[in-house]
Amino acid sequence: MKMAAASTSVDGVLLALKIAFLFLLYLFIWRVVRAASREMRAPQDSVELAPLAERHEKRAPRAGALVVAASPYLDEGERLELSHEPLTIGRGPLNDLQLDRDDFASGRHALVDPRRDGVWVEDLGSTNGTFVNGVRLTSSRRLAPGDVLRVGETDFRYER
Amino acid sequence: MSARTRELTILILVGLITVTGFASVYIARQNELSPGSLSYAGIFFVLYLAAHLVARFTVPDADPYLLPIAALLTALGLTEIYRLNPTDALRQGLWVVIGVAAFATTLITLRHDYRRLESYKYLFGLSALVLLFLPALPKIGQTVNGARLWVRFGPLQFQPGELGKVAMIVFLAAYLHSKQEVLAQGRPKDFGPLLAIWGCAMLVLVATHDLGSALLFFGIFLAILYLATNRLLYVSVGTGLFLIGAAGVYETTAHVRSRVIIWLHPWTIQKLPCHTPHGVELMTRQQCGSYQLVKSLYSVAQGGFFGTGLGKGTFTLPGGGNLIPDLNTDFIFSALAQELGLVGIAALLLVLMLFVVRGFHIALLATDGFSKLVCAGLTFGFALQTFIIIGGILRLIPLTGITLPFISYGGSSVVANFILLAGLLLVSQRANETP
Repeated sequence: MKMAAASTSVDGVLLALKIAFLFLLYLFIWRVVRAASREMRAPQDSVELAPLAERHEKRAPRAGALVVAASPYLDEGERLELSHEPLTIGRGPLNDLQLDRDDFASGRHALVDPRRDGVWVEDLGSTNGTFVNGVRLTSSRRLAPGDVLRVGETDFRYER
Repeated sequence: MSARTRELTILILVGLITVTGFASVYIARQNELSPGSLSYAGIFFVLYLAAHLVARFTVPDADPYLLPIAALLTALGLTEIYRLNPTDALRQGLWVVIGVAAFATTLITLRHDYRRLESYKYLFGLSALVLLFLPALPKIGQTVNGARLWVRFGPLQFQPGELGKVAMIVFLAAYLHSKQEVLAQGRPKDFGPLLAIWGCAMLVLVATHDLGSALLFFGIFLAILYLATNRLLYVSVGTGLFLIGAAGVYETTAHVRSRVIIWLHPWTIQKLPCHTPHGVELMTRQQCGSYQLVKSLYSVAQGGFFGTGLGKGTFTLPGGGNLIPDLNTDFIFSALAQELGLVGIAALLLVLMLFVVRGFHIALLATDGFSKLVCAGLTFGFALQTFIIIGGILRLIPLTGITLPFISYGGSSVVANFILLAGLLLVSQRANETP
């Protein structure tokens, strides 16, 4: 009688382990499939095999524009359409956008980089810093429409 | 969450699965197993943590799912081997140690740029040929079940074809990548290499009497050729040539012929002459030539939907002998099918498929031709090998004894598959890392 009771409890444990094992197997599959499918939907630059030039054309259909919001010497409301090429801002003559009268801007101040996933802005080691919505950049940051970018004494508003 | 952290969380799940499996086997067979053998599961988990740490340092951005999938497959294999023969499980555990070491070595030596392998392509081609023909050499080659696949050096016994497969894929990827443009034109004289490799595959077939390996190598070759040139003509001509060659070998080799007969007609009603150690006796075929296949089919059927549960399957005769020979190598699939049932074995097939999907996904992401071909070739090799052995066991194609990747008992297979895994991770790292 005691033996029979022992063997039923062993069978019960084994049944529980069997169910647990199969459940965990499918949990594993579910986790991998779910995580992997989510990742497949995310944009991935490396999926593209087209040559680099073509990639630049395709990557940002509408890059948006920088509009001068406040500046001691630029006209307010002046619009600078962004192309798909990266754009440098600074006091030096080699910049795409030259702020030669701004004493607070560094020679090479900031980089505006339209990428596939949006327009990114990066400080190029300026003395006085680059600010987005009043916050000094420490790493590159993606601009959202309406963000205010401050370089030297000039404020630009990012619009799409 | 970074790729490696995700890998770690999934590995912990694999650890949990391993513990559940081992506990089930141990409880079901506690009068035969010593409690100490439960530590194999722990050792196994520590090994994969070590592999994970190596990956963290060498390939931080690589695919996070491949290593856990390989770990799960190894865990399933090890659990079943442990259930069938605990001594073999310990030995398999040691092979996994060597496999992880080979994995780590490959990752560390090739972490900067594996593409330099491309310039040693003929070295790889040559070593692949040597490894393939090694078992056919008179002194060291061993014939097991009619096929010459084994090599013995003193106490050490291994199947060099497994490593030969990886070397062959690296060679083919590099060679076809360099000849890609010429071959894509499909002029008659470009069929030269195709004929040469076909000749080699046929020689392997004749020398080793093993249809499976020949099919595997030629299949990998055709797949890489197709990927490199995008011409279906090569695939159809190649398949045709292979069928002609296989038919020729079928006519001339008794071993291959008997494999096909066993596949088509495993059961007979009348008794046929059968060669036994005691001389020729009259038996039905299911008692003689197709005994192993038929018993394995019964084993799969016995599992039903949910299986008997790990540790509770029937694999021994009442007298104590093994019901199915080579159960933990070639036939491990039918052992797993009995204990896990249709539900469990379907999960196993899904996991094998996930490995293949991830492999091709990496090949898609790879940015240069050589990486793409190596990655797709390794993945295709894995997929075709899995198909050949499972298809053979389920009587879809003639049965040939090759291993089920990561699952079967066997050192050379485990080591070769770990190197394959390292290769996939290296390609993935290169494709994912930010320039």
